[in-house]
Amino acid sequence: MDDTTREAALMDVARTKISVRGLDFYYRGYHALKNVNLDIPERTITSVIGPSGCGKSTLLRVFNRIYSAYAGLVATGQVLLDGENILDYHYSLNRLRTRVGMVFQKGVPFPLSIYENVAYGLRHHFKLPRVQLDERIEHALHEAALWSEVKDKLHTSALSLSGGQQQRLCIARAVALRPQVLLLDEPTSALDPIATGRIEQLLNDLRNDYTIVIVTHNMQQAARISSYTAYMFLGEMIEFGVTADLFTRPQRRQTEDYITGRFG
Amino acid sequence: MLWGGRQAFDTFGWHFILSDEWDAVGHRFGAFVPIYGTLVSSAIAMIIAIPVSFGIALFLTEIAPTWLRTPIGAAIELLAGIPSIIYGMWGLFSFVPFMAANVLPWVDRNLGAVPWIGPLFRGPPLGIGMLTAGIVLGIMVIPFISSVMRDVFQTVPSSLKESAYALGSTTWEVVWQVVLPYTRSAVVGGIFLGLGRALGETMAVTFVLGNAHQLATSLLMPGNSIAATIANEFTEADSDIYLSSLIALGFLLFVVTFIVLAIARVMLYNLARKEGR
Amino acid sequence: MLRATGFFYQRRRAVDLFAKVLGIAATVFGLFWLAWILLVTLNNGIHALAPAIFTQSTPPPGGEGGLANALFGSLEMSILGVLIGAPLGIAAGTYLAEFAERHHTWRESVRFVNDILLSAPSIVLGLFVYTLAVRSVGHFSGWSGGVALGLIVLPVVVRTTDETLRLVPNVMREAALSLGIPRWKVTVQVLYRAAAPGILTGVLLGLARISGETAPLLFTSLNNQYWASSLNAPTASVPVVVFQFAMSPYESWHALAWAGAFIVTVFVLLLSVGARAYLLRNRIEGAG
Repeated sequence: MDDTTREAALMDVARTKISVRGLDFYYRGYHALKNVNLDIPERTITSVIGPSGCGKSTLLRVFNRIYSAYAGLVATGQVLLDGENILDYHYSLNRLRTRVGMVFQKGVPFPLSIYENVAYGLRHHFKLPRVQLDERIEHALHEAALWSEVKDKLHTSALSLSGGQQQRLCIARAVALRPQVLLLDEPTSALDPIATGRIEQLLNDLRNDYTIVIVTHNMQQAARISSYTAYMFLGEMIEFGVTADLFTRPQRRQTEDYITGRFG
Repeated sequence: MLWGGRQAFDTFGWHFILSDEWDAVGHRFGAFVPIYGTLVSSAIAMIIAIPVSFGIALFLTEIAPTWLRTPIGAAIELLAGIPSIIYGMWGLFSFVPFMAANVLPWVDRNLGAVPWIGPLFRGPPLGIGMLTAGIVLGIMVIPFISSVMRDVFQTVPSSLKESAYALGSTTWEVVWQVVLPYTRSAVVGGIFLGLGRALGETMAVTFVLGNAHQLATSLLMPGNSIAATIANEFTEADSDIYLSSLIALGFLLFVVTFIVLAIARVMLYNLARKEGR
Repeated sequence: MLRATGFFYQRRRAVDLFAKVLGIAATVFGLFWLAWILLVTLNNGIHALAPAIFTQSTPPPGGEGGLANALFGSLEMSILGVLIGAPLGIAAGTYLAEFAERHHTWRESVRFVNDILLSAPSIVLGLFVYTLAVRSVGHFSGWSGGVALGLIVLPVVVRTTDETLRLVPNVMREAALSLGIPRWKVTVQVLYRAAAPGILTGVLLGLARISGETAPLLFTSLNNQYWASSLNAPTASVPVVVFQFAMSPYESWHALAWAGAFIVTVFVLLLSVGARAYLLRNRIEGAG
């Protein structure tokens, strides 16, 4: 069809960063993700939308295998990051997590100073002299649009920051490791509109350097910031495409129903 | 885990357990007196503690103004923190004389004359005795039961209570008809918890119960409890048989408290599960 | 269906009022005992206090003296108890909260046993340590006293550690894991930091509890009129001395017993209240 070739053409232009093939996910026996196929292009923002319980967060959590910390959660199929299957038993978690970072809905900083929060991951993975460490941290805080606000109080407790600032700190914490992919699970749902705007702005600035996948239940947000959008429903990937196209001329009936607010 | 205690009397005198069931009253061969004492003193304690704890829990959750709740709640918790020898000291030096001088003669005169339960209350105002011990034990147990009740009352969803109030119920009715049924099993659990504590309480009881190996009908007479017997006579135990009977008593106590506490735990757990914790 | 106003309503109001009054009465009742006990202890205790308490050791029957050896013995054995019970307790509590994910029944059984241990009568625990430690070694000692106290501290610390760790938001765990930090490091470096106030409070409360315990010490460390030569010998402790002296007929011993009771009470209450206040303040800071 006309539109699919157009999509394919567009996606050829953008290289695929993450390729999901036949992914099934079981949550203690419950079939949460059903045969998901998806190609996430690099260095751009892809949003995953859908009603509650559709599996979008679950999908995100497969990308950094955070589910492996819990019992009874099983993923089958393939998820290829730069061609390598990260679900493979031999793919080191350590390596995965330096290449894929995650930011959560509730920005909970560690009970440490602001400096230490950002330094934590760095210290564990790299042996850096103090000067370099300082640089990395400053850079990360700049990227998270937080530097000017905290540069004078780097060694105070992170808990003294406001909700929006804490979330940005969590973003700084994640980008400090210079991952290639940044996963965000409803990062602004707990924030007021001003803080939300700030974070969307910052994501916009990051899109050239990182492959960003953002899960959001806010369709306007997806429309605002993402280049590509994936719509999921009841564990299945229903439609994926360029954001503008998906929202104005959705291919599938289900997508259209969701977007026009018939449910969810 | 605690087979250790059992081992001791297993090797020495298994038949001492059997002798308990003979209900022998003499000291060395029968545990009946201490068992009786433990049960009776705990019973008195529960009779006092349960209503009072309920009243306190009621006060703290429904009646008291908010600013008053934390300090008074903390004060009641202090009662739980007081070590039992302190209860014992106070019991022996303050409470006992008070009972002997003021309360017991009254009890003897008035309640002693009542037809059925009279014999329970007749006797010389020694001060030391089952009734005194029961009262002290009851006071010790109050904070445990009331804190469980209080915690549990607070878990009742406010929407449940509010709908009752909206229908025009009084505070009391809400408690009696909504809160209690909802928390019933946990309340019983809390009571069992208090019972477990009362059964095993040593020092306070030792001070005021009298360490008398005699079985008396009257509550005013001294008696003995398992824990008190062990505590009092351990250092005097000079023969193996003596020692092993004491350990046997300890084992009995352990078994009984284990069962009581297990029941308590199960009942409390049931409520926690109900609220989806 | 609303009940008719008038008589029924009045009666319901009366019942309600009656219940409220009883509730207040019960509370006053409880507080009354608290006040009486504390007043008596403070009063008698203060009168019996003298510098000699801290300098001289326990006297022979009828004599004058102090409580120095008992105070020291209590201190020794309490510290020993905490050193035994706290690390084990923290480890076990951590295990229950963090690492026993896949074994639900086992985990719940351990919690169950721990709860029983927590509420078990201390005399039973003392007897247990007696049969295990004292019998095998052959004599009473400060060490077995410490072990018995440790056995009392253990379940308290297990429970508070377990519960405090479970309160730490899951997001924190996942965020640390997402950075690629291994599980054990996450627990030690991040979770403990977050849970520290709660865990510390648990240890302090355990300490408060064992400071006033008498029964377990009766069967393990016994008592000693003099300074114990080492922890390997019977050791004096304040609660046991109080017990012995109070039950005696000697006035001077009674006075010392009150002094001891006073010291123990003040220490225990200050520690309990202090630990809870500390927790309250720190929990408020770190919440959210």
